[in-house]
Amino acid sequence: MTLAASAAGPEGALAAPPRARRSRGGYGRYAGGKVLGSLGSLAFVLVVNFFLFRVLPGDPARTLGRGRFSSPEQLEQFNAAYGLDEPLPQQFLTYLGNTLSGDLGISLRYRVPVADLLVDRIGPTLLLVGTSTLLAALVGMWLGVRSAWARGQRFDRLSTGASLTLYSMPEWWLGLLLIATLAVGFGPVPGLFPTGGLHSVDVDPWSPGGVLDVARHLTLPVLTLTLAYLADYALVMRSSLLDELGSDYLTTARAKGLRDQAVRNRHAVPNALLPATTVIALNFGFVVAGAITVETVFSIPGLGLLATEALEIPDYWVLQGAFLVASVGVILANLLANLLYGVLDPRVRT
Amino acid sequence: MVRPGRLLAGLLAGCLLPVGMLGGLSGGAAAAGGGDPARFTVALLNEVDSFNPFLGIEVESYEMWALTYDYLVDFSTEDLSLQPSLATDWESSDDGLEWRFTIRDDVTWSDGEPLTADDLAFTYSRVLGKGPESATWKSWLAGVTEVEAPDDTTLVMSLSRPNSVLPMVPIPIVPQHVWSEVSGEAMKSFAAEPTDGAPVVGSGPFRLVEGTAGGSTYRFEANPDYWNGAPHVDEVVFRVFKSEDPAVQALVKGEVDFVEGISALQVDSLEGRDGVLAQNADTPGFDEISFNAGSVDLETGEPIGDPNPAVLDPEFRFAVGLALDRQQLVDTVYQGAGRPGSTIVPPGYATFHWEPPAEDLAHDPERAAALLDEAGYTVGADGLRTLPDGSPLGTLRLFARSDSATSTKVMAYFKEWLADLGIESEVTTVESSKLTDIILAGEFDAFEWGWFVDADPTSMLSYMTCDQRGNWSDSWYCDDEYDALFEAQGSELDPEVRAEQVKTMQETLFRDAPYLVTAYNTTGQAVRSDRFACLLQQPAETGQWIFQQGTHTYRSIRPAAEAGDCDGATSATEAAAAGDEEGPGAGLLVGAGGLVVLLVAGVAVLVVRRRGTAEDRE
Repeated sequence: MTLAASAAGPEGALAAPPRARRSRGGYGRYAGGKVLGSLGSLAFVLVVNFFLFRVLPGDPARTLGRGRFSSPEQLEQFNAAYGLDEPLPQQFLTYLGNTLSGDLGISLRYRVPVADLLVDRIGPTLLLVGTSTLLAALVGMWLGVRSAWARGQRFDRLSTGASLTLYSMPEWWLGLLLIATLAVGFGPVPGLFPTGGLHSVDVDPWSPGGVLDVARHLTLPVLTLTLAYLADYALVMRSSLLDELGSDYLTTARAKGLRDQAVRNRHAVPNALLPATTVIALNFGFVVAGAITVETVFSIPGLGLLATEALEIPDYWVLQGAFLVASVGVILANLLANLLYGVLDPRVRT
Repeated sequence: MVRPGRLLAGLLAGCLLPVGMLGGLSGGAAAAGGGDPARFTVALLNEVDSFNPFLGIEVESYEMWALTYDYLVDFSTEDLSLQPSLATDWESSDDGLEWRFTIRDDVTWSDGEPLTADDLAFTYSRVLGKGPESATWKSWLAGVTEVEAPDDTTLVMSLSRPNSVLPMVPIPIVPQHVWSEVSGEAMKSFAAEPTDGAPVVGSGPFRLVEGTAGGSTYRFEANPDYWNGAPHVDEVVFRVFKSEDPAVQALVKGEVDFVEGISALQVDSLEGRDGVLAQNADTPGFDEISFNAGSVDLETGEPIGDPNPAVLDPEFRFAVGLALDRQQLVDTVYQGAGRPGSTIVPPGYATFHWEPPAEDLAHDPERAAALLDEAGYTVGADGLRTLPDGSPLGTLRLFARSDSATSTKVMAYFKEWLADLGIESEVTTVESSKLTDIILAGEFDAFEWGWFVDADPTSMLSYMTCDQRGNWSDSWYCDDEYDALFEAQGSELDPEVRAEQVKTMQETLFRDAPYLVTAYNTTGQAVRSDRFACLLQQPAETGQWIFQQGTHTYRSIRPAAEAGDCDGATSATEAAAAGDEEGPGAGLLVGAGGLVVLLVAGVAVLVVRRRGTAEDRE
């Protein structure tokens, strides 16, 4: 779902050159501008959303009806029942009205309201991708800081090498590897985790036992994604800290007699965090888009998988709903990154 | 600022410790028998798209409806012959315009209400109406004008023309007292799913207690009062896996008892295992290479698209068919798990299947070349064949489906075989939905696809009629004699005469060759035979254990420990000697605990080392 990314680029993520002229309005004005920009992106997405999927090849009535004993009249009946026989402009107006009033339509494949489907699917996705992104960010940044500080030493070589290796592995393959070892067991080691799914049969995921059950089911998929995402954060953090290493203020800090650790954690890291903030914020925008391959391998009923399968039909309303949710996620994350930047780096408020 | 090192150690320990402790508490599913409920867990590879039998289309959904509801008639496991079900007896008037069915009087809905002929009349009348129900099922009741229930055990259908499909109507019967409240508008999105612990009202051998369309777990409880005998397992649970490998791993581990839809390779890998029984089962369908037999604008009758003149010629198509090496396709593309194909009615439907003469199915490139020469497609100076008028034949455009490995491989072979005959071609791989558009525009010469065939071949035969061009016909084939026979067999009440007509139609299609039927596919299925026995195949010896016409296996299956002789069912699977199941126990705890200790220790070492180096530096 990288389409969503093009809808809103990380405008504020690039620090503007400081200007001599005093900015008028300060942070409030800056934030207001960013919010308006986001609203504009949202309006754009609303319109594009409808037409984007109408150009897909295929005809839902035919895809869904193949192999079924039916006449041309029955196809027409299907199209009439689900509003597919109306002229496109009229369908567009209906869509706009419905979307703005919160009605996302009925899925052509599952014949249930799209909103219900999205609500069911977004939980697992947020849990899986959200947890993985958070873990990968924390661990990755820690690795990045350590590597940069010990540049060229064994730890640096090891962690950079390992994270790059994991980064270049296909996620599904890593996932299958983990299933074959940690879920099925090998040699004397028994299988520790389930092979897939979100929770065991007839376990209420909201009960205390159910929460632990879900945690067990999510361990391997989260591990897979975390390992795959690590390099992203580790390398960004490492390179931006390396950029800071030669700065004068670090020399000053050292000259003051501060301990090495204090120099690193209080002086270098906060400044090096800026680029990492952008990466994290943007990646969190993509959390709702799901992780299609990992959702497939571990049979986790998430949003990514729902959207991918909807493409085959094409199930217009499911695609529109999923795309809308994903776009809103990215736009919001972008807005947050911009607002945060304004706080972290006053130079951008011009 | 929190030190990242310490934070990480805390996180890791926090995440992994509960997991380790849990590992000891729950292993695979408990073996059936003893005090536990006998739960048969099936791994599906696709979600149910709707539990409402008027809306769903996926084969998985058909399976769920069959567990939940009953039908007018049933099909035997042995040879798919007709068996009584809700209807114990039926007769039609001599002119075929009235059918009378005797309906059982000992069937109750799961909420205690009796099932009567009224429920059947109600269900069929909904299908004859205007809503989504009719978009789904109406063709099966072709010619039926009215369905009535003069009393609780009699159902009468009135027809405007005879319908030879009767009484084989595969429409699930729903309870009138529940569904009469669903309007035509509401039907569009009526889910028919259990709510707050109240199971779906049905009359079938099982009751759906948990499940939603598009969800990943569906749970059924046995119906102890089922009119055709209570099932021998307490529960059937379906879990959706989104890919094949994890599903097989889950079977090996014991998280599920049954997997379906697996490849021949997976069946091979499972065949040697203790306590597992695996097979490649025949499926009621076929794969084919279809030609463009004449795409036209249906309004004007003018040709549309741009088929090569050669593929419009039945003689050319038939000759090319002789260049197919079907056995090689089965051995390589289908990995041996399939059979060479012949006609559009699979041999499993023995009553209707017509088998072409062996020499017409043989791989015979010499005869193919001779026939092409005879028909005027002679080889030119450049070694390539020409059209009968002497102009170059050009390049045939072949299409394969990107979502099917079989499709792309078959077309690669086909291209080679055409080249051996002196015919150039190129293969384009597109998505199914895109291919549908290409077919409707007539912008192709040939493509690869397949069909599933219903127990009554009418639907499959109909796809080859002129009326279906622009609808379900993907070959654009149109032949008046074929159409006349189609009409005739649709109204023919003498089963033997009808079977002959259906065979003649297959022969016509075979000679005109709009389709070259490449293979009858199989599907891999496997069961934990150390836990469950008494599965039935339909048809016997070669067919599938589940996804049958009816619910035979679900009703006959028993926990291995109590299987006995399966009530004398001869073709049922027997229990394997239960092997030593590695129950996760103390070893698991130790293993998990060890892993956690290792990880935490590793992190701790790192933290300590980091401190050390920091101090060294100062």
